[in-house]
Amino acid sequence: MDHLFYIATLMSVWIIFSLGANLVIGYTGLMAMGQAAYLGVGAYTAAVLNIFFHVPFPIAALAAMAVSALVAVATLLPLQRLEGFYFALGTLGLNFLFFDLFHNLAPRVEGSEGLYGLELPAFATGARNLFLSVLAVTIVSALACWRLDASPYGRALRATRDRPDALRSIGKEPRMFQISVWAVGGALAGLAGALYGATLFYIDPTLFTLNTSIAILVFIGVGGLASLAGSVLGPVLLIGFTEGLRYVGLPSTLTGPLQSGLYGLLLIVLMLFRRQGLVGKHDFRE
Amino acid sequence: MIQTLIIGLGLAGYYALVAVGFALIFATLRIFHVAHGTVFITAGYVFWYMHRIHGISLAISATAAIAAAAALGLAIDRFLYLPIMRRGGGMFSVFIASLGIVLVFDAIYLVLTSGVIAVARTTSMELWTVGGAAIRKFDLGIMGLVALTYFLLYLWLHRTRTGLEVRGLTDNEQLAAAVGMNVDQTRNAIFLVASAMAGLAGVLTAYDGGITSDSGNRTLFIAVVAVILGGVRNILLGSITGSLALGIITAYAGFFYPEWVTFCIFAIMIILILFRPKGLFG
Repeated sequence: MDHLFYIATLMSVWIIFSLGANLVIGYTGLMAMGQAAYLGVGAYTAAVLNIFFHVPFPIAALAAMAVSALVAVATLLPLQRLEGFYFALGTLGLNFLFFDLFHNLAPRVEGSEGLYGLELPAFATGARNLFLSVLAVTIVSALACWRLDASPYGRALRATRDRPDALRSIGKEPRMFQISVWAVGGALAGLAGALYGATLFYIDPTLFTLNTSIAILVFIGVGGLASLAGSVLGPVLLIGFTEGLRYVGLPSTLTGPLQSGLYGLLLIVLMLFRRQGLVGKHDFRE
Repeated sequence: MIQTLIIGLGLAGYYALVAVGFALIFATLRIFHVAHGTVFITAGYVFWYMHRIHGISLAISATAAIAAAAALGLAIDRFLYLPIMRRGGGMFSVFIASLGIVLVFDAIYLVLTSGVIAVARTTSMELWTVGGAAIRKFDLGIMGLVALTYFLLYLWLHRTRTGLEVRGLTDNEQLAAAVGMNVDQTRNAIFLVASAMAGLAGVLTAYDGGITSDSGNRTLFIAVVAVILGGVRNILLGSITGSLALGIITAYAGFFYPEWVTFCIFAIMIILILFRPKGLFG
């Protein structure tokens, strides 16, 4: 039973991450290939504050959101001058830079490659309580994104993607929307990172490689770009499937490669046959 | 110090073989072919499997491995890139699909080799001692081989009809098709030649230091940075100068700060695309 709660918690965390990535990639059309960097910044911020400075976890998670959003904006500004594909390449490079920073500079607990020993508040201790807490955060995040989708701001994001000139003609600057949505995406990645650490009880740099950025692309690609339902559907289906494989008794040495192989196959199938994913309202145009 | 330089030149040889193919494909077809790294390790694994596991002779194993690489590269274009482009997919879609290929093959190789490094060499390397520095004859051999390959490529690009068509594609694809050039056939030739060169690099790497399932990505990204650095206005000159620079940088960085090599490479890449946004096009 605890293991089922663990899987559901994992899905919730990835839904939060997907919501942010979908705002950036799906709604605004920014080809982000390095979102795992901001996930890592959030995870490390929350873990360091909580483990070394004994900041209560909810406050540490809020701080993680703020720090990730700031780091995200700071890294976006220089990259904004790049067009389409080169922007994707730049963010991909950033992912590698952040991985090396985590790997070489991030603090670790003596005798391990990463950090553990989070102190969670009483209401989030135990698999069931943790799941309910994370679920609550996920629901709040999803509601916020739903409101945002229907708001004038949501329309402006889609206009940034499809009709930047129209946006300019009514006196609004697409670049400003790119910056603000990138901050929101960074904050959600930071929140997801903090909760990811709480779910796994352990973080190390290998959680935040390019493969994680690709995984998020697979999640929202399969679920559907620019769609709230897509951000929920992708992680639920794919994590459900790969975790299900463990239940059928697949040895754990095979689940890792099988998962990444499956993601690769899904990317190929998506690009060949259905670039809008299952319920997407937009597709990979470029 | 000289020793590190020679190691850097040897590395530059591998990068140059991978980079020139990548540059050829990118400049002519605007495909960001990350799966070029997969083609590279596939040749390495085929070579390792035939030569090391089954003891088949060096020449036969190497030829088969290079042929396998060429066939794989061609197949990826025929059955993946071309259909995606026919269905209106752009540069980013093709890139994503290419990443898909990388993930699938990496997973297969990881399972088949259990993550153990595959070294195809069965004998030890001969060393030359010149003024206190130990130089491997193998590195000199690589340099010779790269020079020969580049010479043949030069002849192909500048002295044959297909080469002329390839250069025509670099300048203007529509015009090339309009004057009656068979773009599809030229495209096949590009993928075959580029993949064969990556295959040669794969064979040499497997023979030398060995390969793991992630060697392909690593080499590919270094080659990409080399291409961005060198530019593709002149494919051969750009690839070789970029590769020389990257080979020397990675050798020295690897010697002094091994844990920061990747950081260096990607920092260079980001700085280059920021300040030379058209760098890739020369």
